[in-house]
Amino acid sequence: MRRRTSPVQAILIGGVMVVALLWVLFPFYWAFVNSIKKPADTFRSGAWVPFLQFQPTLEHWVSELAILEIRQALINSTIIALGAATLAVLLGTLAAYALARFRFGKSGNANLTTWFISQRILPPVVVVIPFFLIMRQLQLLDNVFSLVLLNATFTLPFPVIILSQMIRELPQELEEAALVDGANVSQAFTRVVLPLILPGLVATWIICMAFSWNEFLFALSLTTNRAIPMPVIIAGAEHTRGVQFWFVGVRVLLTMLPPIVFALLAQRYIIRGLTLGAVKG
Amino acid sequence: MAASETPARPRRTDPTKFFFIMPAVIWVLLFTIFPLLYALYTSFFSFRFGRINQFVGFGNYLRLFTDANLHNGLRVTLTFVIVTVTVQMLLGFALALLLNREMRGKSVLRAIMVLPLFATPVAVGYLSITLFYEINGPINELLRALGGAGIPWLSNPFWALVAVIIIDIWQWTPFVFLVSLAALQGLPADLYEAAEVDGASAWQSFRSITLPLMTPILWLILLLRLVEAFKVFDIPTSLTLGGPGRATEVYSLFTYRTALRFFDHGYAAAQGFLLLFIVSLIVALLFGRIRSIYQEERS
Repeated sequence: MRRRTSPVQAILIGGVMVVALLWVLFPFYWAFVNSIKKPADTFRSGAWVPFLQFQPTLEHWVSELAILEIRQALINSTIIALGAATLAVLLGTLAAYALARFRFGKSGNANLTTWFISQRILPPVVVVIPFFLIMRQLQLLDNVFSLVLLNATFTLPFPVIILSQMIRELPQELEEAALVDGANVSQAFTRVVLPLILPGLVATWIICMAFSWNEFLFALSLTTNRAIPMPVIIAGAEHTRGVQFWFVGVRVLLTMLPPIVFALLAQRYIIRGLTLGAVKG
Repeated sequence: MAASETPARPRRTDPTKFFFIMPAVIWVLLFTIFPLLYALYTSFFSFRFGRINQFVGFGNYLRLFTDANLHNGLRVTLTFVIVTVTVQMLLGFALALLLNREMRGKSVLRAIMVLPLFATPVAVGYLSITLFYEINGPINELLRALGGAGIPWLSNPFWALVAVIIIDIWQWTPFVFLVSLAALQGLPADLYEAAEVDGASAWQSFRSITLPLMTPILWLILLLRLVEAFKVFDIPTSLTLGGPGRATEVYSLFTYRTALRFFDHGYAAAQGFLLLFIVSLIVALLFGRIRSIYQEERS
């Protein structure tokens, strides 16, 4: 609010905001509205508002949620998201503490941080072949465990960068006081540092869950049947069934809702995470 | 940007540090470096039916120069990257500038803008099949209501790529917007007040305060977007399956098919390294411009 806003400007800004919101929200609305339409209504023009233009129904939600494959995929996605995020945060928090509080040679800290971040540069398709061959060797193809491992690897940069910044912002004297009082390093870490970074830690965990839930390329390459998560279920469906708007609506929402809810819960840390720590939103 | 606070320098050097750092280091070595080396090894062999067949030296890399389908993937990806990233940068930054002021509903706006970023990309692509549906999809219905003709979104090679591009713009413009807005709000207010006292116009303070201060952040956003855009896979795979023909067969999709449909692992590995080389080159070229942002980390 650097300058006064004139009425003309206010109208212009309001208009832009409305257009931007409609543009962002419309696809979600479209998914929702189709998920509660009877099949005949999806092929009719101008059926956009429930109750007014068509009679909504929950039958597709009920029938989709009764499908065993979908239930299994939801369970698989949940296991992958929880497992990968927990592993990543566990490894990442320890590394973050090391980077924030210990010196690794002259510019070791900066180099290690860059090394962890640089993983986000790697195109997944470069390593999908070795992963496929390795997992085949280990008999881990079509096993959610392989996806837990891989997603933990690719979300590891988030906890490392976000939490090392948070720890660096804490006064070091707190831990030093604990050490003087006879605590050892791991006690100073678990009793002093961890409680203080808990909100950031939980947020990071949630962000890692969202990314692991959304991951597609590895899931597509490494699962064939039992271990298929939601994104892969979705990708396969359309081209065998033809366009059935109502199924699209239900499945898309089932897939999207968890990560979106996660994102809203962790909002404060999202910009920091997505810019790898460069901008703190 | 938290340039104002100076984080304490790490002080301790005792060996306990290895207890904290090693698990993550070993993990990355195991799951990133080892697979990369394995891929490098693979790229020197020809594969048949998923098994190593014979050593071919640089044979797989030489194929990169003559494969028309690969060049198609490269061309599609480059077009996609240039158009999406340009539009996202311009639109996102412009929106952030416009909405960088005190107003009601700002936190709601920000929350809504977060939604596309975390909407599962495959699901977005899948949903887009219905959005761009040619007979009675909402986009064509809107175009017809406005007096235009429906567009053959998914059956025409040109429009299919446009559809993929539009969806990516929908998904990632909010990223540019949110990061720019956060950075704009971190700019020192007293500079603007001083400029106003000196009678500078809005344009002048934009040119001489906002733009120079935002430049490193904008380079950073550009770099992050470029890297992500080159990796594009999910949306074209779910929306168009790379088609019609190969019109939207982006690089990663082509490589994926080489590896897991045709089981030509060696050649696919070589393709992967070409992509890694391109992305690394961009990072190397742009990193100098954003170094200052990370400077505080390198104390």
